[in-house]
Amino acid sequence: MDTSIRQLLEMLDNPEAYSEQEIREIINRDEETRETYRLMVKAKRSSRHRQTGNPVDVDAAWQQLNNKVSHSSHFTLHTSRFKIAASFVGVLLLSGIALAAIRSLTSDSTPKVEESENTLVSDTVKQVTTSLSPLKKQERTPVTYDNMPLEKMLTEIANHYEVKVTFQNDELRTLRFRFVWNPQKDIRQVVSDLNQFERLTVTFKDNQIIVE
Amino acid sequence: MNSETDMLEQKEILEKLFRQNYSEMIHLASVLLGDDEEAADVVQDIFLKMADSDLMPKNDWYLLTAVRNACLNRIRQMRLHEQVKRLLPIEAETDLQPIEKQLERFDDIAAYVDEQLEEPHRSIFHLRFDNDLTIAEIARQLHLNPNTTYKYLTQSIQKIRQHFKH
Repeated sequence: MDTSIRQLLEMLDNPEAYSEQEIREIINRDEETRETYRLMVKAKRSSRHRQTGNPVDVDAAWQQLNNKVSHSSHFTLHTSRFKIAASFVGVLLLSGIALAAIRSLTSDSTPKVEESENTLVSDTVKQVTTSLSPLKKQERTPVTYDNMPLEKMLTEIANHYEVKVTFQNDELRTLRFRFVWNPQKDIRQVVSDLNQFERLTVTFKDNQIIVE
Repeated sequence: MNSETDMLEQKEILEKLFRQNYSEMIHLASVLLGDDEEAADVVQDIFLKMADSDLMPKNDWYLLTAVRNACLNRIRQMRLHEQVKRLLPIEAETDLQPIEKQLERFDDIAAYVDEQLEEPHRSIFHLRFDNDLTIAEIARQLHLNPNTTYKYLTQSIQKIRQHFKH
């Protein structure tokens, strides 16, 4: 029997007996061993998929969520911030300051890549005018926008595809939601993903992302 | 429509989405993470963030995609030892098939194992992947030599790999 596969199986039976480096060396010994590990991952998932777990108590789960939402006053807190954000952004847009600020920023800050799910929602009005460097073309990992204003999100996405963004409705600029953007996708696919949200109609025409 | 009415409406939409999709989301998260408690945590977190959003998704596609992305993120942050203990991917999965296709593949693997593997290969496979037994434990249970058990498990894995190679 192939020694590297045997070593892989032995390691998987007792991974704590190996250092991280040793584990990586074993799995990456050759393409066959890597493929074997990948297949074992799928086999394990297949097993979980087939096994019927305990019935899910949706009522209890909803109650748990409801309690968390009530305690953190998400709805109340967000409404206040929304009002502040909407009025502040409104002033900026009227004076054209926001557009000028965004264009003039040339920071080399590291593009935001998919972050921990434990990251708190901390995007405030000030961040509308913070550095918005275009996402480097070589950054291909999915990017998670956690409750970021739509305008900021689309500016970054549009820069990546070298297209423009037009809002038919100014109210939509400050809409916040969670969106995962995969830079490897074609712009039309990204537009289709955005259309999965209520109240949002996005089209791509004449090299423009149009939001209405 | 005042903001309080908006809030109530959002909450109703959220509850509807929750009740319609929670079971499926939990199942997907459990399959991907290999841990039921962590799966529940991921799904609750997704809905908490939606509660803070202005927009709700129209359908379940977004929710399941959010689950997958959240799970991949969690896996990436785990210690390597934890990843291999749970048989999770150790490299970033960037080229992803649609979720339904992935689940279909899991069904196909299960069907292949049950229909195409003979004994004791099939039992060894189930004991390894369903019950998480070590080779030594499997060998003891089936009254086999550990070396033979390794050999049979390797043969099964190679057979499955060959069958699903495109």
